Amino acid sequence: MSKRKSTVGPDPTAPSSAKESRFGWLFDPNLITVVLGSLAIVFAGGLIQVSYGAYSMTFAQAWAAVFNPNVVFNPQAWDAFLLGETMPEMSTESLIVWNIRLPRVFVAALVGMNLGVSGAIFQAVTRNELASPFILGVSSGAGLMILLTLVVFGSLTAFLPLIAALGGAGAFLIVYVIAWKNGTSPVRLVLAGVIVGTVFGSLQTALFFFADDIGVVQSAIAWTTGSLTGTDWEQVRLVLPWSFVVVLLSVAGSRQMNVMLLGEQTAKSLGMSIEKVRFALSGVAVLAAAASIAVAGIVGFVGLIVPHMVRNLVGSDSKKLIIGCLFVGPALMVGADVGARLALSPTQIPVGIVTGLLGGPYFLYLMRKQENMGEI
Amino acid sequence: MGAPVTDPDRSTEPEDTAVTDAAASTLSGSELVLQYSSSDDPIIGGESIAAEPGAVTALVGPNGSGKSTLLKGLANQLAPEGGSVLLGGDDVQSMGTKALARKLGLLSQESTSPSSITVEDLVYHGRYPYRGFFESISDADREAVERAISLAGCGHLRGREVGSLSGGQKQLAWIAMVLAQETDVLLLDEPTTFLDLHHQLTVIEIIKRLREESDITVVVVLHDIEQAARLADHMIVLEDGEIRARGAPSEVVTESLLEAVFRIDADVELTERGPRIDPLRARNDGNEPDRDDAESRRHDGTEATE
Repeated sequence: MSKRKSTVGPDPTAPSSAKESRFGWLFDPNLITVVLGSLAIVFAGGLIQVSYGAYSMTFAQAWAAVFNPNVVFNPQAWDAFLLGETMPEMSTESLIVWNIRLPRVFVAALVGMNLGVSGAIFQAVTRNELASPFILGVSSGAGLMILLTLVVFGSLTAFLPLIAALGGAGAFLIVYVIAWKNGTSPVRLVLAGVIVGTVFGSLQTALFFFADDIGVVQSAIAWTTGSLTGTDWEQVRLVLPWSFVVVLLSVAGSRQMNVMLLGEQTAKSLGMSIEKVRFALSGVAVLAAAASIAVAGIVGFVGLIVPHMVRNLVGSDSKKLIIGCLFVGPALMVGADVGARLALSPTQIPVGIVTGLLGGPYFLYLMRKQENMGEI
Repeated sequence: MGAPVTDPDRSTEPEDTAVTDAAASTLSGSELVLQYSSSDDPIIGGESIAAEPGAVTALVGPNGSGKSTLLKGLANQLAPEGGSVLLGGDDVQSMGTKALARKLGLLSQESTSPSSITVEDLVYHGRYPYRGFFESISDADREAVERAISLAGCGHLRGREVGSLSGGQKQLAWIAMVLAQETDVLLLDEPTTFLDLHHQLTVIEIIKRLREESDITVVVVLHDIEQAARLADHMIVLEDGEIRARGAPSEVVTESLLEAVFRIDADVELTERGPRIDPLRARNDGNEPDRDDAESRRHDGTEATE
């Protein structure tokens, strides 16, 4: 048998060329194309975002501000961005680009990343292509808590991100308890998610009746459809650490997802503790969804479409799927946020509206193209 | 070709190697009561079964007689309501899931997989019980996979996607996956059903080679009694959750047994390749089994597709 000679590029005749090194599978031409394409979209979207707005500047000016060495190589500036210390002196262009427009791009990218990975995990756990990060009650739990905070406990509004994320996680636990009966199964989990979603959704709608001014209603709608308006470095600081954890755990857990896709019986006979793995993977996915809810509210469709797109492009191997989602998610989110911020300028619409408008037609296209959707 | 016995280098528990192969590959169930949570009556009501170490034991019986259920009970996929299963002297229920999967492999009747996975990747999943959460593929894994692929004879399919294979080719890939597990005991649930004759014989050849070249203990559920009688060293006949006969094929497969258990009239002729069965007609003597087949198929079906 051939030994560890790292060959770039797959060779179909040689045994286990992809198994030669730990990261050999990364050199998949499709995956590389997806990653590079996504990076190009994020980059282009980011450049548009930093160039346009109330204070308009040319691409060249924006470009110069983004790569301003006084900011990029200034440790004091990064302390201000990432640790929240005082901002050093910089030019107006740099200040606008670095302090107002770029953080929004970063938050969009991180939210897209989290939602993409979360969707990919939930689709593997439920073995259903139509699962989304919000299928196990996360969105309805978060939505209910958002409405409760805004309408009933107005004094707690400062903690809204945290409360929303906790609401999502709490609803997920309720779903798990309902679904549990000598273990769970994908179908029971999804059904329990529907039950919890229905009840919490009704309560959430009922609370709208008690909102006394239009501002509260608009704020509630922005949170429950997902919006990046007004995000800055504080949101980056909030979501970044969790994103690290999510990326690490999801990449490490992708082999478990692959084995899970072989079916419950096979996974069990291979020695997997299926309930533990299912709960752990779901927990990672809920963490990702909750982190994104905390900074952007409930952005729909991203977690549903992104794993779909990636699976069509790189196949259903979970390792490649997760890596792909880490790049395609940001691309979709940054692209959609360009539309949300600039399409009806100066009015900004919630980014969740744009992702929904993109997601519907994409699914229509899939439905026409693919004969059977559903089970992976 | 190396025989697929446990590689001593990879064994994590030192006591594994101390035990002799024959002891490691003993599998027996005693007083097993097996039942699905959705039904009131047990499918298997207190039966004892012992697989002959290093040999092939065939389980046969009519539809709904509890063969698959018994196999699931032996593999600890279905926790017994009563009784216990001993594997190499240890109770399977007290063993860790991965430790069990290193000693006992089960190939289910209907296996599903994402269609875009390659055969090679599928076979590598057989190494799951040997790998920790962050561990990557080791040389021992690579060697085990190569042995399994060559033993199952699916080297030419290695790079193909499972979804593009015929039923028979798929089965060879799945067999390679359980062989890569390098277990002492292998349980196969109807590995030849739905296959064409060529692939049926290929699967039978693989089992024969396992018997000849290794100490692995094989328990196989077969639908075809004649095939079972020719392959097995030991046969166990189930009817309605009860063991009706056990022993060497030439003693077990008789006209009276076929009449009583399978409810057919048949001529049985002993040849040097094992008993030859010539089925004549189905008997309709109104002696229907208590439990109808549809119900048992429902159990099998829901468990298999979950």
